[in-house]
Amino acid sequence: MSEQRYRLHWVTAIIEILKALKEAILPLIVVFFANGRREGDTGLWYIDYLSIIITGSLLIILSVSGVIKWLRFQYWFEDNELRIESGLFVRKKRYIPFERIQSLDYTEGIFHRPFKLVKVSVETAGSSSLKKSEGELTAITKEAASQIERHMTEAKRKRKQPISDDSLNGEPLLEEALEAVEEKAVKVFSLSSKDLFILATTSGGIGVILSGVAIFLSQFGDLIPYEWMFEEFSSIIKFGALIVGLAAFAGLVGVWILSVIMTFFSYYAFTVTLEEEDIIITRGLLEKKRVTVPLKRVQSVSVIQNPLRQPFGYASVSIHSAGGGVGDGAKINLFPLIKKKRVQERLEAIFPDYLFEEPLTKLPPRGKPFFYRIDFLWMLPVIGALTYFFFPYGLLSLLIIPVIIALGQWQYRSSAYTIHDNQLTMRFRGISLQTAYMTRRRIQSLEMKQSYFNKRKQVASIVASAKSGMGQHRGHIHFMDEAEAERILTWYEKRSTRKATSSFQLADESLEVE
Amino acid sequence: MRPQPANQISRKGLKVWRLYGIIQTSILTLLAIGFGVLIYINDWSTWLYLAAAAVIIIDSYVSIYLIPKIRWMRWRYEVRESEIELQHGLFIVKRTLIPMVRVQHVDTSQGPILKKYGLAVITISTAATNHSIPALEMEEADELRNRISILARVAEDDV
Repeated sequence: MSEQRYRLHWVTAIIEILKALKEAILPLIVVFFANGRREGDTGLWYIDYLSIIITGSLLIILSVSGVIKWLRFQYWFEDNELRIESGLFVRKKRYIPFERIQSLDYTEGIFHRPFKLVKVSVETAGSSSLKKSEGELTAITKEAASQIERHMTEAKRKRKQPISDDSLNGEPLLEEALEAVEEKAVKVFSLSSKDLFILATTSGGIGVILSGVAIFLSQFGDLIPYEWMFEEFSSIIKFGALIVGLAAFAGLVGVWILSVIMTFFSYYAFTVTLEEEDIIITRGLLEKKRVTVPLKRVQSVSVIQNPLRQPFGYASVSIHSAGGGVGDGAKINLFPLIKKKRVQERLEAIFPDYLFEEPLTKLPPRGKPFFYRIDFLWMLPVIGALTYFFFPYGLLSLLIIPVIIALGQWQYRSSAYTIHDNQLTMRFRGISLQTAYMTRRRIQSLEMKQSYFNKRKQVASIVASAKSGMGQHRGHIHFMDEAEAERILTWYEKRSTRKATSSFQLADESLEVE
Repeated sequence: MRPQPANQISRKGLKVWRLYGIIQTSILTLLAIGFGVLIYINDWSTWLYLAAAAVIIIDSYVSIYLIPKIRWMRWRYEVRESEIELQHGLFIVKRTLIPMVRVQHVDTSQGPILKKYGLAVITISTAATNHSIPALEMEEADELRNRISILARVAEDDV
């Protein structure tokens, strides 16, 4: 059975070459500078031009391998599978059954746009590798992408059919048929330009960029003439501290503006739509991204308010999905910025099984000191050392004590929890306030922690872990009433008991929700 | 008050932990001897000999006697029909509940020292977390592993 085989668009070759170049750029620069700075003539032409020769041949090799990679890459449909064959020296074949595909994510970069192409990433349930998705089609036309999607929905429908035939009454079949008919997309959320502006200006991207700068400096540390800079610097100091301060401030502002622009580009036209059983998120100005998250893969929902946004009544919402890698892939920004008072209504439209109310039960006052008491363990030595070594000014470090105590108080006051039916809601604060909504069947394990001192005061902490990609997302409530913590353990235990014994789990579940 | 989980880990686990403590202390002792030589060569204060000796004595008491004892006393587990409950911790007592339906797979493993004592570690993995019981008699570990895997088979894959 020979099926028609498809090749990627030729832009793939260019993208591959550029990607390889980007990876090779650092060694190339090193080669170039190490060689180019040598003075004098050795008389041997191939030594004089060594750097150019190396660079040139590398460029040629990269281009040729890029083109060959493109030529070798083929995909086709066979036996309800997406089959991909690729590889330069080692031929790789990868067969992905359509019914295993959880979602297709699209990215349109600047090279894709002129040709109406997309990059398609195939996400499966057990995407095992940490960095890449199961299958990646670097550049195909939009028609080809929708062709894959058609194949996928077809295969999934075929799989659903026999199950519904088995069911006792005909209702589920009917329902499914109806569902298939009204395959419609509902727009649930979009980011207005005003919100986009606020998001960009208050984003935490500053830290990311600062660390990026630090990394850059550490990478190019040898190339930057520090001595020369030091001389310049000392002459600047003669000008006065004011100018230094101004320069630093200007630098920070520059970094901040950069982060604003980057956030603006990546969150431009951010839209969330609900299509059947999938959440679809599209965003981006230069690089358009389209991510699909099947609803049933969502493991937990968190509402996060950082201290900068909280006073203005803004919050952000993220969901943790079972797919994706560590970190980025699994934690998905569902609403990057939204008015707090509208969170509940919007979320309930997407997740009807959840109850998005603020948790009600606060913590007992006797647990309050635990929020900052442990910090004295590191504070006292640090303060002691600072005071000892920098005598008069070191005493200023004492100021950290009230700050830490205030933060502890704040964390104590922010903490709350509620158990509602089969849902555990936890609100806690590190610095940002997070409200985590987890259902019982998504909590993978529950832990109660108690130190000797906690026990004396009859308080305990609860940590609930839900799956998030390859890792976990943890919700916790610290220093709550001991009896209440045990009640949560019992709550978690009871339900799973019944779950294991009941064979009609789904029916059971739906009853419970009501 | 919730009752503690019923089972304790093997008494031999205590021995193994003591052995680990002894290994750790001997490494520390070697370091201390090296330090002693340095003191001798450089003619540093004789008090430093005492300090080094004190460190070793305290460490051997803590890591050979005290910590294994507390750890062993604290470690409890119980495998019930529908969940696994663990309790462990030195200063902070942790009690973990893992529903059977969440268990993805169970492993047993043993290093050379555990093998000599006929012990094994059993590791229970859910979709998100890993939990292990550190020292069980081998037959017990195997039996437990089989039991958990049978009980967990009821689980429906819904992640």
